[in-house]
Amino acid sequence: MRVATDIGGTFTDLVYVDKNGSIGIAKSNTTPPNFEKGVLDVIENAGVKREQLSMFIHGTTVIINALTERKGAKTGLITTKGFRDILEIARGNRPDLFNVRYKKPEPFVERHLRLEVDERLNYKGEILSPLRRKDIEECVKHFRKEGVEAIAISYMHSYVNSSHEVETVKIIKELWPEVLVTASSDITKEWREYERTNTAVLNAYVQPVATTYIDKLDKELREHIDGNQRYIMQSNGGTTKFDNAKKAPINMVESGPVAGIFGAAVLGELIGERNIIAFDIGGTTAKCSLIENGEVKVSTDYYIERDSRNAGYPIKAPVVDIVEIGNGGGSIAWIDNAGSLKVGPQSSGARPGPVAYGLGGTEPTTTDANLLTGRLSPKNFDYDVNMDNVKEAIQQKVGDHFGISAEEAALGIIRIANSNMLNALKLISIRKGHNPQDFTLLAFGGGGSMHAPALAIELGVKKVVVPIASPVFSAWGMLMTDLRHDYIQTYIKRLNELSLSEIDVQWEEIEKQALAHYEDEGMAAENVEFHRFADMRYLGQEHTVKVPVPNGQWSGEDKQAIIKEFHNLHERNFTFKLEDSPTEIVNIHVTAFGKVPKPEIGKITRNGSVDEAKKENRNIYYEKKGWINTPVYDRDKLPPNEVIHGPAVVEEKAAVTLIYDGQQLQLDDFGNIIIEMEEK
Amino acid sequence: MTTSVKVDPFTLEIVKDSLLAAGDEMFVALARTSMSPIIYEVLDYASGLTDAQGNLLTQGNGVTGFIGMLTFMVKETLKKYPGDKLKPGDVIIINDPYNGGGSHLSDVGLVMPIYYEGELIAFSANKAHWTEVGGKDPGSFTNDAVDIFQEGLQFNCIKLYDEDRLNEGIVEIIRSNVRFPDLSLGDMWAQVAALRTGDRRLKELCDKHGKETILAAVNYLLDHGETISRQEIKKLPKGVFEAEDYIDTDGIGNGPFKIKVKVTITDDEFICDFRGSHPQVPGPMNCSYTGLMSAVRVIFLAMTNPEQDVNDGVFRPLKVIVDKKSIMSAERPVPVSNYFETLLGSLDLVWKALAPHLPNRLTAGHHLSVCSVTLSGNHQDTEEPFLIVEPSVGGWGGAMGQDGASGQFCVADGETYNVPIEVAETRYGVLLDEYSLRQDGNGAGAGEYIGGKGVIRAYRALSDGQSATVTYGRNKFYPWGMNKGHEGSPNEFYIHKANGEVDGPYGVYPRYKLQKNDVVRLMTGTGGGYGSPLKRSAAQVAKDVKNGYFTIEEAKEHFLVEVNPETFDYIELSGRLS
Repeated sequence: MRVATDIGGTFTDLVYVDKNGSIGIAKSNTTPPNFEKGVLDVIENAGVKREQLSMFIHGTTVIINALTERKGAKTGLITTKGFRDILEIARGNRPDLFNVRYKKPEPFVERHLRLEVDERLNYKGEILSPLRRKDIEECVKHFRKEGVEAIAISYMHSYVNSSHEVETVKIIKELWPEVLVTASSDITKEWREYERTNTAVLNAYVQPVATTYIDKLDKELREHIDGNQRYIMQSNGGTTKFDNAKKAPINMVESGPVAGIFGAAVLGELIGERNIIAFDIGGTTAKCSLIENGEVKVSTDYYIERDSRNAGYPIKAPVVDIVEIGNGGGSIAWIDNAGSLKVGPQSSGARPGPVAYGLGGTEPTTTDANLLTGRLSPKNFDYDVNMDNVKEAIQQKVGDHFGISAEEAALGIIRIANSNMLNALKLISIRKGHNPQDFTLLAFGGGGSMHAPALAIELGVKKVVVPIASPVFSAWGMLMTDLRHDYIQTYIKRLNELSLSEIDVQWEEIEKQALAHYEDEGMAAENVEFHRFADMRYLGQEHTVKVPVPNGQWSGEDKQAIIKEFHNLHERNFTFKLEDSPTEIVNIHVTAFGKVPKPEIGKITRNGSVDEAKKENRNIYYEKKGWINTPVYDRDKLPPNEVIHGPAVVEEKAAVTLIYDGQQLQLDDFGNIIIEMEEK
Repeated sequence: MTTSVKVDPFTLEIVKDSLLAAGDEMFVALARTSMSPIIYEVLDYASGLTDAQGNLLTQGNGVTGFIGMLTFMVKETLKKYPGDKLKPGDVIIINDPYNGGGSHLSDVGLVMPIYYEGELIAFSANKAHWTEVGGKDPGSFTNDAVDIFQEGLQFNCIKLYDEDRLNEGIVEIIRSNVRFPDLSLGDMWAQVAALRTGDRRLKELCDKHGKETILAAVNYLLDHGETISRQEIKKLPKGVFEAEDYIDTDGIGNGPFKIKVKVTITDDEFICDFRGSHPQVPGPMNCSYTGLMSAVRVIFLAMTNPEQDVNDGVFRPLKVIVDKKSIMSAERPVPVSNYFETLLGSLDLVWKALAPHLPNRLTAGHHLSVCSVTLSGNHQDTEEPFLIVEPSVGGWGGAMGQDGASGQFCVADGETYNVPIEVAETRYGVLLDEYSLRQDGNGAGAGEYIGGKGVIRAYRALSDGQSATVTYGRNKFYPWGMNKGHEGSPNEFYIHKANGEVDGPYGVYPRYKLQKNDVVRLMTGTGGGYGSPLKRSAAQVAKDVKNGYFTIEEAKEHFLVEVNPETFDYIELSGRLS
């Protein structure tokens, strides 16, 4: 049996697929700080016996928690002479432009634990000053005295030549075998010293925590599952083995959320949709990501704690491109100082939660608005819902301000929430030069199916899919993943000066490294698949475009085709191309997949009729139309390929889908809900 | 203001958000398509939308100094092309510092009227720092020009596009008058593309919601801004507040120049009176009236509500009074290349006048200068010419409850990024010896809450014949301390020559010649401290010493804390305050 577990803020989810292709799900409370306990609990809750486990895939928030709660290790940093303050100076930017009391992010390593050694390379990787063993000995002595638990090393231009960093690790290991050491070039081979240094520091900072956690989990599972079948989800949308995860734990920073995006791509493949906008609404946030031609976009432009007011901390690890906004089911509706209605980013969280929960929440939320307008029913809640309290909260906090009824106010909350989410969806599609009509909106998470049909009309996508297992879709995605490693190397080269034999060597070296890596992980070479990309730009420009490039040895024609593809992609992304300008490669990027056999997804067989699936009729309040008596269906009883016309509601455990007048819905053979506009 | 159409409040809110989103999109579009580091790294540009009268609706800013300048560009356009002289498809180019611009010639503005169903409904506008606009020196903005004609090309509100037809003549003039035409023209096309994004989005909004709804939302947005602004003014202390200070130099040997302000705050007005400040000067430190308006707007936002969306409604309660032809309201043809130093000086006056009364919003003085550095020469390997144009980070002031930030760009900058050393060394003919926090050693910035540290950035020339132009303000008059906090340290630089000689310190210097292995050591100021250093917790002082922010001697002399150099244990000396 294959099992995936995903630790979330409130719940730890589990999805399994058995030998017959049947899917089962379970939820259990998340148990900080001993997260592994929640994992074992949910396995037990699912009724899965540990000896039945054949494969285990895990998404974890341990890394991001250690970072945001500052619960990592005492970390020391070694840098090139003259540059220990790079970590503190950072980039000097102040996103909160007009706030003169702006607080700069504090570095994760205090100044007295940032030591310098007299070594130096130039931009070509040539050694200007050699590394001296004595200097490293001094550093180790100081770090031991100060009780440092992990060490990061970041030298100038180590992305071109890592020999000094490698040598430093070797010396430290000889002197102090127990300490954990991170060399910046082991985590990222991209230029920009602040970003690379910070990445190395954060990796070192979480490494002891990650190691302890993985070891504990490993101990519990070891006797039941073969070492080759225990995987951890990384931020790039692929998995890695437990041992490897301990070396570069920073690669797990977005371990959980990306699995849903990856799952969307896999499901799309299954149902013939290769252009997808994946859209996940949870309790606190909504996340979206664009998948083009089946390819999940991965970049290293990732930050933690960054928003429009804060500079945050860069992490140059490959992370699936996700846009996240503070709008979920629990987002609070409020009136600003000048009297405008806002929704989020404050959330009522799991406790006290929306007013509907009756756990003491007094602020109206999106969930309460959905309830008052009939989009949700009190029966959808595990709590005893007091509708009067919900209505009163919305009336008092929003309705009275505008002199309108509670229902009108609730509709206002939903419209503002939708507007916020629509802006996020536009950000990843229209603003990047994509036409939404070419895309399918794949909606999941607790609230995805509720809001997606309305957003689809506004955005103009051709279709909405609410997938199987939609409330726990991230865990489902994990079951479908392959091993994945991304190798990104800064390699500045003008295309017109590029020697084909030289770049062939570069690619081959990276791929050789990848194969060796997989061999260590017990993956046979024939199951490894390479995808190559070049980050390219016009000479003198800063921003790059990721261009897919051919495998194998390049011909002169290949080179011309690559340049042409770059011009096209540049025009798509930036509205223009400069065909006379010279082009330049900045990074070369290899994604290496280690293919793992996937479970088969079974087709559903149901013989009942649509009428038999109907649960009730419910009054729902619509914009401009008022209350309409709307049929409600049970998703688990709906037969495939039978069309239902909107307005209508489809309910399942932990999620509700609402379609509007002019939309139609049907289940496909696998049980996915497919929503389209009716033919006029 | 009343609107002719009744639109429900949620639609207004949604349309308002869509207008703001369009503004963001225009802003991002420009950075992503630009070819110049000064735009995509320093974000030295602004873009936005105004209504048909030129009132600012939304402005995306990378730096604060441009706030409100778009409005003046649009108003100048309306003045020069009244009625049907302006047509759909027109794009106007303008960089006149004295009328409708407010900064210097390097900042080139573009304005595009937006029409819907034949009616002028709005303007799309942006203003961006071009790496080159010609003039006497590479990089165009120079610290020893004596008139505007030495500072580059002037575009006096002329049509770049006339009803969608490009004026090829203007393009040719630019191409033949600037040193890096590909960069300048590349930025111009990026600006045009960003304007069109605004035009397209506004028309889409009209298609979707109807023109009347959009116009109602525009009024709603302006009124919303004004409402918040007036609420904030009510919370400010009322009365008259004064301050004086000096601008170091005009760059050609004159100075210092006294400047002063009298701020009057009533229940619904905020009046800044700069009368009595020094007249305009021969060198290029002059700021024009619209530049002064920006200065006041920035600090007004900092004092009232730094978080709000910015539009002209917010600024309705503001009034600025100034003598004609003063250093901060200069008139043609005095030079204005380094206008930002006087813009900053004027801004800092208001800050200094109000800081004691608003300790929860304002800090002690910061390094205050853009600290601009221009370095040119040939790359040692490729022999291609290179040009670095960059501002420098320095220390910010301490404030009630928090230490000052170290190594940040000045208040006129903002979402501005320093150039990574690895990128600089690849692209330019230099090696960096050091990029570190400054240790003053003399108690600069000491306080209960200390000033943030200035920064040392040392460029080693790797080829002969390089040239450095440095413009560091606050070299003679230091960042001010507050409430018994110490003042900070000056912005200054030294040249460490290959032969061992050291030259300096300097604040402003045009075209310093560098030979191979000469090092320019740029040092920015530490910010002023807040509160008496004798009140800073002794444990914190010991930690400061351990971290090398202060020396053992400074701890003893200025904080009255004796710190053991080995163990960092400490003893409090008598005379400390609690």
